[in-house]
Amino acid sequence: MTIEDPHPSDQEMLLTADGEISPRRAAGIRAHLAGCWACRARMAELETTIRDFIELHQSRLDPLLPAAAGPRALLKAHLAEPAAGDRRESPLRLFPLSFARTVAVCLSAAVLAAGAAMLLTRSSWYRRESAAIPVARLTPGATRTATRADVCRSEPDQRARLIPASVRQKVFESYGLPHARPDAYEVDYLITPELGGSDDIRNLWPEPYSSTVWNAHVKDALEDRLHEMVCDGTLDLRTAQHDIASNWIAAYKKYFHADKPIAR
Amino acid sequence: MSASPPDSNSIELPLPVRSASALSSARPDLESEVISLFDQLRTPLLRYVLSIGMRVQEAEEIVQDVFLSLYRHVRIGRSRSNLRGWLFRVAHNLALKQRESSRRQLGSVAGSDDMAERRSDPAPDPEEQMVRSERRKRLLAVLHALPEQDRACLYLRAEGLRYREIAGVLDISLGSVSTSLTRSLARLHRADRATGA
Repeated sequence: MTIEDPHPSDQEMLLTADGEISPRRAAGIRAHLAGCWACRARMAELETTIRDFIELHQSRLDPLLPAAAGPRALLKAHLAEPAAGDRRESPLRLFPLSFARTVAVCLSAAVLAAGAAMLLTRSSWYRRESAAIPVARLTPGATRTATRADVCRSEPDQRARLIPASVRQKVFESYGLPHARPDAYEVDYLITPELGGSDDIRNLWPEPYSSTVWNAHVKDALEDRLHEMVCDGTLDLRTAQHDIASNWIAAYKKYFHADKPIAR
Repeated sequence: MSASPPDSNSIELPLPVRSASALSSARPDLESEVISLFDQLRTPLLRYVLSIGMRVQEAEEIVQDVFLSLYRHVRIGRSRSNLRGWLFRVAHNLALKQRESSRRQLGSVAGSDDMAERRSDPAPDPEEQMVRSERRKRLLAVLHALPEQDRACLYLRAEGLRYREIAGVLDISLGSVSTSLTRSLARLHRADRATGA
C-alpha cells in the first residue's frame, strides 16, 4: 500500500467485485484492499449486502416458478409445427413483404424494439386464434372403440360431461399453464364423445374462452353437423373423427361450405 | 470510469450463420439449439419477468414467445452474438408492452384484474405474508421503493447479466448501470443497518 493510493469509492469496489473494471485498475484496488482493513471491511459489507439481496430475491421467486417440463414440451411442439418460424402467424403479413424488408434493413438499429412490438401483437393473436386449435403433439385426438351404431344409438347427452378437476389440471400442465384461471379456459374434447372421442388426455385441450371467432360454440355446431352426417350415412365415422382431430376449423369450413362461422 | 466487461459469460451459438438454402434442412438443429437455450435460460428469464411485476401465467407466456421469437431470429440468419442479452431484451420489452396494454384495457373497461397486485412486486405469495425476519421486511421495503430502472438493473444483475448486457436490455449507458447498482446496494445496505440489528 502506498500513501498516495486513495481509498476506492463504493462504485469502484463493486466494479472490482463484478470484474467490470480494467485489469490494471483492479490490481491497484486489490493491492489497496490488502493493505487497508477499513476498505476490506467495506468490501465484505458489500458482499454481504449482495448475498442478502440474492437470498431474498431467490427465496421469494423460486417457489413461484412452475416446473419446466410442461413449458418445454409446449415450446418443442410449437417449434415442430410447420409454421413455427414463419411469418404465417405474424401480423407482418398484413404489410407488403418489400415494406417489411425495407423496415428491417433500414432500421436495423430499431429492429429489436420493433420485433418485440410485433411479437407482442403476434403473441396475443396467437393466444386468441391459434389456441383455438390444440397443439397436435399434445392433443392428437383419441377415440374409444365405438361403431357408427354405438354413436348413433344414444341421444346426444346435452354435453353434460364432467371432466374431473385432476384431469383438467393435467391438461393445463401439459400445455404449460399450471396456474391457468379455470374461468379462462374450457377443457374441451377434441373429438367429441358423440363422435366416439375418449376421455384420454390426448383428446383434451384447454380451449380459451377468449377465442372470439372460432370458439367452443362454433365447434359445437360442427360436432352436431358431423354427428348428423354420420348417422344419416352421408359421412364415415372414421373420416369425421379424422377431420375434426386434424383441424376442426378446416373441417368446419369444409362441411359448412363457409369461410367464417355461420351465425346461428 | 472505465468499465470493460469481459464477454466470457455471454452465450453464443457455436454454429455459423447458415445460408438461406440450407435453412430447411437446418431446422432440427436450430430446434435443438433453441431448446438447449431454453433449458439454460428459462428459469432466469422467468424469474426476471416475474420480478418486474408479471403474474406467473403471463410470465410463462412471455417466455414462450421469447423463445419462439428466438427461433425465428436465428432461422432467418440474424446475429447470434450475445443471445442471452437478446433474450432478456425481448422479454423485458414484451413485459413492458403487456403491462401497458393491460393498463390501457383497464382504463377503458372496468376490468376484473387487480392493478395493484400487478404493479407491486410479484404475486403476494403466502410466503411473503409471513416474512420471517424484520430484516427481510426492511430489504423488501427498500426494494419496492427503488426507481423502476434501478430495480431492473439489480434484477438483471441477479440473473447473471454483465453490465454491457444490462445496458443493452435497458437501453442505458454502462456508466448508468454501474451507478445504479452502486446506489441500490448502498440503499439496501443502509436499510440493513437501520435499526442496528
